[in-house]
Amino acid sequence: MNIKRSFTLAAVAVSLAAGIAADAAAQAKPEDLVKQRRAAMTLMAKYIGPVGAMVQGKIPYDAAIVARNTGFVDTLDKMPWDGFQPSTRDVKDTHAKPEIYGDAEKFKSRWEHLQSEVAKLAAAAKGGDQNAVKAAFGGVGKACKACHDDFRRE
Amino acid sequence: MKTNGLVAVRTWDLPVRIFHWLLVALFAAQLYSGKTGGNAMTWHLYGGYAVLTLVLFRVLWGFVGGSHARFADFVAGPAAATRFAKQLFSPAPAHFVGHNPLGGWMVLAFLASFAVQAGTGLFANDDIATEGPLAALISKEVSDRLTSVHKWNLKLLLGLVALHFAAVLYHRFAKKEDLIRAMFTGVKHVPEPVAAARGGVRHASLWVAVILFAAAGAVVFLIVKRPF
Repeated sequence: MNIKRSFTLAAVAVSLAAGIAADAAAQAKPEDLVKQRRAAMTLMAKYIGPVGAMVQGKIPYDAAIVARNTGFVDTLDKMPWDGFQPSTRDVKDTHAKPEIYGDAEKFKSRWEHLQSEVAKLAAAAKGGDQNAVKAAFGGVGKACKACHDDFRRE
Repeated sequence: MKTNGLVAVRTWDLPVRIFHWLLVALFAAQLYSGKTGGNAMTWHLYGGYAVLTLVLFRVLWGFVGGSHARFADFVAGPAAATRFAKQLFSPAPAHFVGHNPLGGWMVLAFLASFAVQAGTGLFANDDIATEGPLAALISKEVSDRLTSVHKWNLKLLLGLVALHFAAVLYHRFAKKEDLIRAMFTGVKHVPEPVAAARGGVRHASLWVAVILFAAAGAVVFLIVKRPF
């Protein structure tokens, strides 16, 4: 097998792999996609909720729980986004605005921003500096809001 | 004191003026914190309690405050409002010592809308990390609905503010009545007959205002903290 041929094969393999990943979501039933992405976001809310209550002083601060929960969210926040396929546009049970599919680039920049803010929060939580956690938490809240303001309806 | 046949009348008592400008400042701060989100939401909640306190105080002051602070003084019937509206587009000033009939309605609209805004805020949630202090008492569905009211009523409030700005500027430039300065100084300049017809302006004790304000703050504190 010559080098050129193996390059071609590799390229085909890579594009196939990428295609499979995208297709896996695209071919799922739209109702399931909505359920799954909502489930991911519900879990994000579950684990970020107590962190919010702690930085707002509503419940006692527990550094171990903050570190664990922000770590969970740092993984969960990778999950919802491939569920926002154009095929889900007509599903009733969602707060997603159709603008998501009209301006996919902007939507992507929003969730990438969220991911980077959550990564900062998780890092701060590991560092253990409560003020840094609080500041990073504010960044996460703003990232949530920026996307909700544009892409989430009531 | 006379200028151009106008006499100065001390119209707006100090509590009314402080109420007005505090509400302006708070509304601006609430807009900012609400739009900013994140950790600013903590301040948004405090600001909301302050707005609620102010509105509560103003309602009480509307019954026991100085002459022109009272609802009985400025809430006009539809006939008076129609009469006033008809002359609105003539350039001649239509002097009133207190609120004019439409202005009186504006006060009621503002108070109602601010009450709705602060009231729904107590039960609202932003689906991120913030909820009003009473949101835990009701279901998520109802809280979501009240959150929608909170958002729609904001548009109404902004509309009222725009209308209020337009009206005040119209009076200032088209009818040559400086209502803005009067809200700072408390003094309005009106023709002598108008002032005479109104009789003396009675000003309520500042101590009463302080006590009512403290009472309003205590009521809001009890609502928010629910120590019982």
